[in-house]
Amino acid sequence: MAHQPTYQSIHDAFLLQVKHKSDRLMNYFLVGFFLAGLLLAIFYDTWLIAAGVGSLALLAYYSTKVLLPGSNTYQYVVSTVFGIFMAQYIYQMHGLFEMHFIAFIGSAILVTYQNWKLQIPLALLVIVHHASFGYLQYIGYDKIYFTQLDYMTLQTFIIHGILATIVFFICGLWAFQLKKLNERMIEQTYEMGRFQEEELQKKALLQSNDNLKKSNRELDSFVYSVSHDLRAPLSSMLGVVGLCEMGTLDPFMQKNITLIKTSIRKLDGFIIDILDYSRNSRLEIDHQEIHFSDLLTDVSNNLKFMGTDDQKKVDVRTTVRNGVPFYSDKGRISIILNNLISNSIRYQNPQAPDPFVEINVNVSESAADILVKDNGIGISEENQVKVFNMFYRVSDKSIGSGLGLYIVKEAVEKLKGVLELRSEIGKGTEFVIRLPNLCS
Amino acid sequence: MEFKYKKAMVIDDNEIDLYIAEMLMATTGFAEKVVCVSSAREALAYLKSLNADPDSLPQFIFLDINMPEMTGFDFLNEYQHLPENIRKKCIIMMLTTSLDEDDRTQAESNQFVRKFLNKPLDRDKLAQLTAS
Repeated sequence: MAHQPTYQSIHDAFLLQVKHKSDRLMNYFLVGFFLAGLLLAIFYDTWLIAAGVGSLALLAYYSTKVLLPGSNTYQYVVSTVFGIFMAQYIYQMHGLFEMHFIAFIGSAILVTYQNWKLQIPLALLVIVHHASFGYLQYIGYDKIYFTQLDYMTLQTFIIHGILATIVFFICGLWAFQLKKLNERMIEQTYEMGRFQEEELQKKALLQSNDNLKKSNRELDSFVYSVSHDLRAPLSSMLGVVGLCEMGTLDPFMQKNITLIKTSIRKLDGFIIDILDYSRNSRLEIDHQEIHFSDLLTDVSNNLKFMGTDDQKKVDVRTTVRNGVPFYSDKGRISIILNNLISNSIRYQNPQAPDPFVEINVNVSESAADILVKDNGIGISEENQVKVFNMFYRVSDKSIGSGLGLYIVKEAVEKLKGVLELRSEIGKGTEFVIRLPNLCS
Repeated sequence: MEFKYKKAMVIDDNEIDLYIAEMLMATTGFAEKVVCVSSAREALAYLKSLNADPDSLPQFIFLDINMPEMTGFDFLNEYQHLPENIRKKCIIMMLTTSLDEDDRTQAESNQFVRKFLNKPLDRDKLAQLTAS
């Protein structure tokens, strides 16, 4: 992708271009001024002045340019040099009024640098020159050739001064405006470049988003078939083991068969957890109406045969209060409830006479508040944060994959909900979840 | 031995699952005769062949979803074109390892499907069918 230049870099490049172009022009103008001086020398035989002052002026300009290459000082010097040429020509032509126009030519030339400040040295020099030569003429000094008049009235002098000021001011103004105009143009060019760049980036982003969606879909169907291909043999094994169980009364065999079944179920549970995890992390959030009563019936039906033979039956109590319809992602909510309720069954307290898990759902227009509370073995305070970690299991006797609560946490986050855990060892555990209502 | 039903059919590409279903139905007295077919195509051919003899049709059909060539849903699409006297005799149960929500909704919304069951089939699940 093309690299987008910064505003400053375009600006600097432009200024450099203006400078180079103007510097080149200055070479021609200065040589022209020098030659014009020589030409004027013909009239009153001022060869020494023309060659001497002219070459000193050029020397001042070029030496500054060479000695201070990094600065703009030479531009101020050229401004001064124009003033000097004016003074030189006036003198050479013995005060010919038209020679005063040279100052205006210089002022106009300086506009090319687009810097109004360059007018200042020229204007200052003109003021000093006029003031001193006018005074010298006034007091009757001879052969200074300031004007052709014998004597310049104050009124003439003031009008002369005002006109000169106006010319310098206008040339300075043009320089300033030219600079502003160019800056605006640079800004527009820059904005346009940036706009094009953004459009390109947007396009690229959309493209990669499409690719991502496609690969997500592909990955999902991959996960679907892998999970089927992994789980199908497990269910066959469970079926055959079930047949064996039916066919024997030998307690030794029955005990072994139970162990095999536990292992198969554990492996199957692990595959389901991984499947849930990958679904939750990739699939987009669905918006559908959730019927909590149906959902809870499904979940508790699925968990009916859970728990080992020596465990008591856990009483699943559900209360749903829903005055308004609730919209969210059914798959993810079912993952959340399934994991929490199965944990309550799995980690029931053997000392409790009536193990239960209580699910309260309260639906409002803004959110659904879900409470899952049991009288199980509880989670110690130090473990209450860790249980949400991936693959964390409280003890090696834990039966699960260590993914369950991690998936719950992830799914709640995906649904932009919040989750809170309160638990006390030996008393029970309570999960409070608030999921926003995704109606709209 | 007393049998609940005269005939059941199981459609599954997995030989072991066919064996499990057959053994279970025999030992629990679910069905007197169990017809095992390993593809949906075979099942359709079998059902069509009994068009003239509706009494020999299976009362229960256990249908797998993930099968090569023709899936369980493909079978259901073909099944709706069968003559009515075949369709009204049979009750179809989905029997699959799939836990996919879409599979479940699709199956349960089909007019011919009575129930969506997860494998493996066992005594309790069969007992529930006879109870309902």
